[in-house]
Amino acid sequence: MSFINSSWWLVPLIITIFSGILCPAMGTVLITHRRLLQVNLISHCVLPGLALALAIGIHPSIGGVISGLLGSVIAESLTNKKSENYEAIMNTILAGMLGFGVLIIPLLGIRIDLEAVLFGDLLTANFGDLLRTIIAFLVFILLMTFGYEKVVYVGLDPEGASASGINVSLLNLALSFTTALVIVSSMSAVGVILVIALLSTPTLLGLNKAHSLRIAMMRSSFFGLCISLLGFILSIVFNLSPGPAISVICVASLFTMACRFLDI
Amino acid sequence: MSLLVAENLSYSYAKNVSPAISKVSITVEPGTLTALVGPNGAGKSTLLRILQGQCIPDNGQITIDGEKLIRQRSQVALMPQRSSMNWKFPITVEKLVSLGQIKYSKSKSSSPFQIKALLANPNAWINKCCELEATMQRVGIANIAKRRLDSLSGGQQQRALLAKTLMSPAKIFLLDEPCAALDPPAKEDFLKIVRQLADAGLSLMVSSHDWGTSLNSYDQVIVLDKAVLASGSPYSIKDKLEDINISSIEDNSCCD
Repeated sequence: MSFINSSWWLVPLIITIFSGILCPAMGTVLITHRRLLQVNLISHCVLPGLALALAIGIHPSIGGVISGLLGSVIAESLTNKKSENYEAIMNTILAGMLGFGVLIIPLLGIRIDLEAVLFGDLLTANFGDLLRTIIAFLVFILLMTFGYEKVVYVGLDPEGASASGINVSLLNLALSFTTALVIVSSMSAVGVILVIALLSTPTLLGLNKAHSLRIAMMRSSFFGLCISLLGFILSIVFNLSPGPAISVICVASLFTMACRFLDI
Repeated sequence: MSLLVAENLSYSYAKNVSPAISKVSITVEPGTLTALVGPNGAGKSTLLRILQGQCIPDNGQITIDGEKLIRQRSQVALMPQRSSMNWKFPITVEKLVSLGQIKYSKSKSSSPFQIKALLANPNAWINKCCELEATMQRVGIANIAKRRLDSLSGGQQQRALLAKTLMSPAKIFLLDEPCAALDPPAKEDFLKIVRQLADAGLSLMVSSHDWGTSLNSYDQVIVLDKAVLASGSPYSIKDKLEDINISSIEDNSCCD
């Protein structure tokens, strides 16, 4: 327990708390809007942006958000077209974007710790990572404060929402932008790939029998916080990698809870 | 004066494809229950969307109470097909119904940003709550108001959706295949409710691809298959239909 005498763990702990609350809350909105496949696409689209941003000398997270947003626009247009094969097309694009990202890293002659980007490196997180997480958190809070009713309406009845005057495309774009921010902000905690576990698992637990989106988000955040803190503690005590530890705890908690409560 | 008049409506989803509807002219009188029947792909949903203002027709015009639809869009409420709804969404019946009051357009109806106005006028707030309660009573879902949407039967879900549509301050209510996927007793219950609403003075148009004796409950029947094949009272329509071949309209004697 020598780490208590130092403060290096403080920033990672705060990031864990913010990510543990933010990711499941965002995941609740996305699952109820049936947009989880798009999250997958966005998370895989982040890598080329990171690499290109580093190559041209801007902050990698800006590039990550832009390329994630580009991926979400592609996903949005595919979803709107309602093509029968859109899931297959989206999976092809996400694999292609990840491949493109990996391909251009040596071509651009830049150095990226690919393992940290994909699977997180929480224990080395710095103040910049924390700031990014707080910005994503604030954007999400703003979206929910001013757009909660619209988010509910669009998730439940997109046609009715459009008929009542809601700009559904704009709201979906705002959701995609926030999702891209959340994914990039979670890069340090669990990585852009493993963030999907933190977006999905606590949500499944929180959505169970919830009577409103707000309650479901609060429950999901509670479960997400517990899972993230447990992962953080275990990684410090047993010297594990936090991202994969959190993902494994997600799966374990899903199976444990599924046997008892969930209709899976 | 007719409540809704649509003249020569035509609409195509894309260029160089056959029109979804062609030269459709219909009228709806106030306080009547109208059935819009036709086979799958006849253009019923397209016509309803055009009448609600979601789709702009290539040709033709629509007036509500003598004024153009573009100025009267808030006077038309559309209950969507059940397949367009996310029934798994975490929401109670009461909350779903209350969403029907929300209008984000520049109409005079309430929006979340008008909470201050509602607080300043408590009577308006009380009226809204009473209206919600009364609407749920009207369609027989007041006893399940606190239940989650996905815990309801198909018939109860459709009644909840009808209640949400009725919360809209509209003059005419368009119901897009509300009885699809309901079992015969649930369909019959739903039709009774719709008839009661029309008897109470509301104007409703109900689309269906079923054809049966319960069409007798309607005041007017419009038969559509890209164009209007026949319209009039249920009895007059049946005589006309003997001369028209619409094989895909189901002869469902229980309900429509």
